[in-house]
Amino acid sequence: MNLLKCEYLKTRRRYIFITALAITAFAGIWAFYGNYSGDIKDFVIQNGYLLFLYQFPLMNAIFFPLLCIIIASRLCDIEHKGKNLKLICTLTEKSKIFDAKLIYGISIVIFCVILLWCATLIFGKIIGFAGKIPINLYLLYLLFTIIPTTAIYVFQYSLSMIFQNQAISFFVGILGEFIGLFSMFLPQFPLFRKSMLWGYYGALQFVGLFGYTKETRYDAAYMEVMDIDWTAFIVLIVAMTVIYIIGKKIFCKKEL
Amino acid sequence: MFSLIKAEQMKLKRSPIWLAFLIMPVIPAFLGTLNYVANIEILQSEWYSLWTQHTLFTDYFFLPIMIGIYCSYIMRQEENNRNWNKVLTMPVSKNNIFIVKLICTSFMILISEIWIAILFILSGKIVGISSAIPINKLIVWCLFGTLGGIVMASIQLMLSLFIKSFALPIALALAGGLSGLVFLAKNLGHIWPYSLMAYGMNSNAPQELVKTGYLSFVIICFVYILIFMLISSTILNKRDI
Repeated sequence: MNLLKCEYLKTRRRYIFITALAITAFAGIWAFYGNYSGDIKDFVIQNGYLLFLYQFPLMNAIFFPLLCIIIASRLCDIEHKGKNLKLICTLTEKSKIFDAKLIYGISIVIFCVILLWCATLIFGKIIGFAGKIPINLYLLYLLFTIIPTTAIYVFQYSLSMIFQNQAISFFVGILGEFIGLFSMFLPQFPLFRKSMLWGYYGALQFVGLFGYTKETRYDAAYMEVMDIDWTAFIVLIVAMTVIYIIGKKIFCKKEL
Repeated sequence: MFSLIKAEQMKLKRSPIWLAFLIMPVIPAFLGTLNYVANIEILQSEWYSLWTQHTLFTDYFFLPIMIGIYCSYIMRQEENNRNWNKVLTMPVSKNNIFIVKLICTSFMILISEIWIAILFILSGKIVGISSAIPINKLIVWCLFGTLGGIVMASIQLMLSLFIKSFALPIALALAGGLSGLVFLAKNLGHIWPYSLMAYGMNSNAPQELVKTGYLSFVIICFVYILIFMLISSTILNKRDI
């Protein structure tokens, strides 16, 4: 707890929380801005909640990895500047510092994910989507957003802690995000999606849009809940744990 | 001026940052081509469809972020170890210091554009597009994309001069890139600085080659570059770094 309090004190007036909220707000505006009238109005009102579950993983794949990169970089940069690690690692164990910073960063990122999730539900109510909120599906969606985001955060955080040059973690993160985003448009290659952390927003997507064509548009379109890929979910958790262990080990062995 | 460019190059020597500019365009080239082949019955405009696949995400999300990272990195070298004190006491014009950083970034953007063009031609040949390569248009897209990219670089360098954090200007670059998409959708892409690169590269409608005309595009770009250069030079001259 003391270490977490230290993290809070170190990040005061560094606008980390505001930055996270700003990115989340931007993601929200991006997600909710759309056409809710005209010829697609009926379809959107009838299928709104499921439509969000179908569309939002793409938006998550754009914004949340970036949020992870920025928060991880900002938190770790505090220590790299002025060789602060040399000082704090003489006061407490390296592994504890690693964990405390990780928990602090993850809690900021998860808070933003939950905030956007709540905003989604409220927005659906305001627009007046038909039917009750499919809360079970939304809880699953929350889980399938939190876990890939946490896995990406652990990866970015490990990079940012290991490399002083934050450009490296940024470039790796952006390249990963880029590949992950592209993988969302290649559902015919499911293994490709599952081969990297950033592709799991798509791999764990469980709502599909069917029957949409350019000619008939939404006339014959329908939303359907698909099978959930629990194997991918387990693989992701294992990958996250492995990254955490490796990252922590490298950091603990590294000369400061 | 040349000695300043040389000094800037020396600072970047052995930095792996340029590698990202070479690796990054390979991803849309490979995956965009894959998507093109998978949807060939819908994407029937051959080279133009392939160009859209190659550049759409690059222009709105990733090249702005890459430019943001590069600019942040260049400015960070001066932030570290209070290097600004040494740089600003050198017997050179402070305006030139900013201009040289902009030249270095512009060079990287140009290299990226050339690399994007090479990958585009290679991909088209590999998938067997039979029509002639729109080489003149490709040159214009790349040159105008570079010019639009330089506008973005001038803003990002200015932001990195204002904001000492490494990450914040990059977040603003993403916000800028996305705002560029909105402005393009509202038909204001030719006046919004963050849209100019995508607008110049015609990434979402390659057949419509710069609707507002070449000259006005070039003038707008140069005006923006001049404005951001002036603001940055003023900061360097007036502000206590």
